[in-house]
This record gives sequence, C-alpha cells and structure tokens, in this order.
Amino acid sequence: MAGRRPRKGGGGTEALGPLAGGKCWRVGWGGADRVAVSVSSASSIFSMWLALTSCNLFDSSVDRMTVHFINRDGERLTATAKEGESLLEVVVNQNLGIDGFGACEGTLACSTCHLIFEEDVFQKLDTITDEELDMLDLAYGLTDTSRLGCQVCVKKAMDGLTVQVPVEVADMRRELEVEKQSK
Amino acid sequence: GGVCVWGSARRPGGRYFPGAPSTYRASSSLPDEKKEFLQNGPELEDFVSGDFSDKSMWTEYKGNLKRQKGERLRLPPWLKTEIPVGKNYNKLKSTLRSLNLHTVCEEARCPNIGECWGGGEYATATATIMLMGDTCTRGCRFCSVKTAKNPPPLDLNEPYNTAKAIAEWGLDYVVLTSVDRDDILDGGAEHFAKTVSHLKERNSKILVECLTPDFRGDLKAVEKVALSGLDVYAHNVETVPELQRKIRDPRANFKQSLQVLKHAKKVQPDVISKTSIMLGLGETDEQVYSTMKLLREADVDCLTLGQYMQPTKRHLKVEEYVTPDKFKHWEKVGNQLGFHYTASGPLVRSSYKAGEFFLKNLVEKRKTKVI
Repeated sequence: MAGRRPRKGGGGTEALGPLAGGKCWRVGWGGADRVAVSVSSASSIFSMWLALTSCNLFDSSVDRMTVHFINRDGERLTATAKEGESLLEVVVNQNLGIDGFGACEGTLACSTCHLIFEEDVFQKLDTITDEELDMLDLAYGLTDTSRLGCQVCVKKAMDGLTVQVPVEVADMRRELEVEKQSK
Repeated sequence: GGVCVWGSARRPGGRYFPGAPSTYRASSSLPDEKKEFLQNGPELEDFVSGDFSDKSMWTEYKGNLKRQKGERLRLPPWLKTEIPVGKNYNKLKSTLRSLNLHTVCEEARCPNIGECWGGGEYATATATIMLMGDTCTRGCRFCSVKTAKNPPPLDLNEPYNTAKAIAEWGLDYVVLTSVDRDDILDGGAEHFAKTVSHLKERNSKILVECLTPDFRGDLKAVEKVALSGLDVYAHNVETVPELQRKIRDPRANFKQSLQVLKHAKKVQPDVISKTSIMLGLGETDEQVYSTMKLLREADVDCLTLGQYMQPTKRHLKVEEYVTPDKFKHWEKVGNQLGFHYTASGPLVRSSYKAGEFFLKNLVEKRKTKVI
C-alpha cells in the first residue's frame, strides 16, 4: 500500500513520500523524529490517515464465513467468522457456550482448544507445526483428524465447516456411571 | 464499609426511594407476572446499600446452586465481595509496582484482595507474592494467570528485591508462590530457594510459606525449596483425582502432586505441609472425602477448601455453588480426620488468612518441642 506505516516506539512518522500531496521530509533521525509535512488539500490528509491506520478499515466489505461447532453435550452452535480468524477467536469473540476453551489464549501452551475435524477438511488444513504437535499430543481423546483450534484459521473454502468439541474424560466417566446405575 | 448512597433502610412492605414517584410504573406491555416481579423485586438502594453479607439471608437464597445443561449459574449472596479501596490497598499496589513485583492476588483475580490487602483492624496486610513473573507455561482451565510458551527470562534481582520489599513492609507472615516455569531447567527451584534464604537473612523471625509448582515431578527441585529454610511447604492438588485431567493442565496430576508433598516432608521433617482443593467443579461428596483421606495418609498437615469461581469466559463454568453450611461440614470432617487445620469456606483460598495466627502458633510449638 502507498505510504509507510508509522514506526513503533520511535518519535513521529517516517517519510510519507508523495502521499502527503506535497513536500515531506524527515528532521532528525532516531530518538525524537519530527516530520514536517506540507499538504496541499484535505484529501491528502485523508489519504495520509488511511496510510497510517491498519488495512481492515471497512469490515462490511470483508466476507463472513459460517462455522458450526458441535458442543460436548451434542448441541450445535453456529457462528460467523472473518477470514483469517482462528477457530479459538471465533469461539471467544462470538461468545459461544464452550467453557474451558482456550485457557492459554492461543499461545500453544495447553490443549484446551482441541477440535475434531471431518476427514476431507482436515486434509486441506495447513501443515501442523512441531509446537502444535507437542501440545496436541497431550489432549484427551486425540483422533487422527484432531487439531488445536487456535492454530486453524478460517479460510473462504471453509464456509459451512462443522467441527466437534471433544468429550472430556470426566464426562465419559459420568456416562459410564449413569449406564452402570441404570442396569 | 460499603457505599450507602441513599442513607435509608428498606422499610418492610413499602419502598422508599427519595425523589422518585411512590408507585412503580411498570411497562404496560409486560405480562402480569413480570409486572408483579418488578413491583416486588429489588430497588436501586438494594444494590448500593452495601449490605452484602447479611448472613441471615443466606439460607433464604432460592437461586439455583447446581448447574443445569446450558445454564450459567448466578453468583449467590455469600460470594459477593466489596470493591477494594483504601489507603493500605493503594500503598501495597504502588510498592509492588515500584519494585516490579507481581501478586497472584491480582493475576488470578482473587475476590479477597480488598480484605487481605486492606489489612483490617487487627491483621496486618497480607499479599501473596508471585515469583518468576506473571506468565505461566501451562494453561489450566480454572486459572486466569497469563500463559505463554516462552515467558520472559527470570529477573535475577527478584530474590533480593522481594526480600527487601517484604522486610520493608514488616510482615511477619508471608506467602511466596510462583507460576509454572517448565522452560527453566530446575523449574525455578533455585530462584525460589534464594528468595527464601534472602528473606530469612533479613528477618529470621519471619514465617515463610511457599506455594510451589510441581516442578514436573523433579524431586531434587522440591528438595531445594524444602531445605531453603521455609516454615510451610504448600502445593495444591486443586481437585479430586477423578477431575484432575479435566481441570488441570495435562502435565499435572494427583499422584505427582502428592509425591511433591510427601517428599518435602521426607527431606525436611520439621516443615508443615499444606494443600488446597477447589469445590464446585463437579466432584461428588464421596470423591472429596476419599481425597481428604488420601491427603491425611500422606501426612499433609493443613488443608484449605474454597469455592471455584469462573475467572473469565474462557475458563470452566461453575458446576455447583457449595453452601457455607456444606463448607462447615467439610471443616468438621477435616478436623475429624486429623488435619492440624482445615480452613473451609466459599472465599477461602490457599493463602487467605489461612490460619496465619494458628500456623504461627503451630510453628512456634514445633520449634520449642524440637529444642
């Protein structure tokens, strides 16, 4: 994109180049940068602002995908997701009723966002990293199509995706208890 | 005390709300039972009057205490606490920040923070210092402490600074705890032990309790901490064995934690061992009882029982709010089983007034017995 992003941690902005609509130069370097800008019109100011802020300004133009989560109790939860959002972010941002999910906030330090995918979807996911594998190995109820939700980002082709939230060991035990008692 | 804006007590049968119309104008589109509910329900003054812990009202509480499918339980009255304010609280907060220290009180969002930090009439302010930073390498589903795969490296000045700060505060009982640091070779045991020894050097009379991680079962690390000069060795089993896999990080388990407690006693027989269990995560009474028995058999001296409260929406929902009476029951059971002390209550946490006075006595008793 035209123009450059402001430099973090430093003083002001870097050289904006022709986007500023006029002369633009950098005074000083390192520490206290000061940029003197001469702009010729209001539209240039707007363009400058555009260049300085992040890309996804107009959310309404971004497509939203539909994702389905089958919760531990069998309930089907449906949510919309933006392209590039991780499945963990979807659960958290859309306030889905899946508790104890994402304890480490997506830092690959737990396995609570463990999800089970359908075979064909699983094959198309990005290759798993060693770090994810290390944590995934610790997950309860691991299957051949398991991944960590914080590492899987929603793509356009995943519209209508259905994933399963794995049942927990405590739930399994409770089911067995109930079966035993009913016999 | 709490805030009491309107300065008027609630009169039975009527509503007193200065400046407001005497009759409540309910919306005409509501069904009759809803209108009645609004008429007889709480007024603004009930929320701002500060009458949080009116114990006589606890038994009247009719809200749901056991979670049904899809539900999120409401907080019962005995768990409501005041917003922390006050001189002591602010003083502690600024001292901590200026020395770059962290407390588990803040990181884990403890509801007792106002009370402990405030100090109260007789007790001095207590804080549980969290060593080795505010970021843990594990993600347990009940804990809101930050997690990362590679937290920032240890601050080598921390043992010295912590000892200095605690000496400045003039505390006579302090709890040191830490995050899990699986990224460090000894799990941070050396760092921990150094803090304790610095502390004891500055003030030999101070009583030190260490609430340690499990060091991944590394008993040499446990030994290092146990022999550092501390008085109470604490390590939390957190829950019954049947729920360990569900609520704790998979790298932690009951057997490993019990080993830690046993080993601390083995290498330092004079130390007092202590552990803690959270209730309300779906455990049964039988499971709690058998866990308490197992702990007593491992010669754990002190036990604390508290109510689990969901810290954020990413964490486990509360399965049950255990009543204060039930907590009292467990206290009796603990005393019957022979624990030196069983601190049991909804807001009790591992280091909440955990018999500071009592333990202080106990430790003095043990010291004199030895001599």
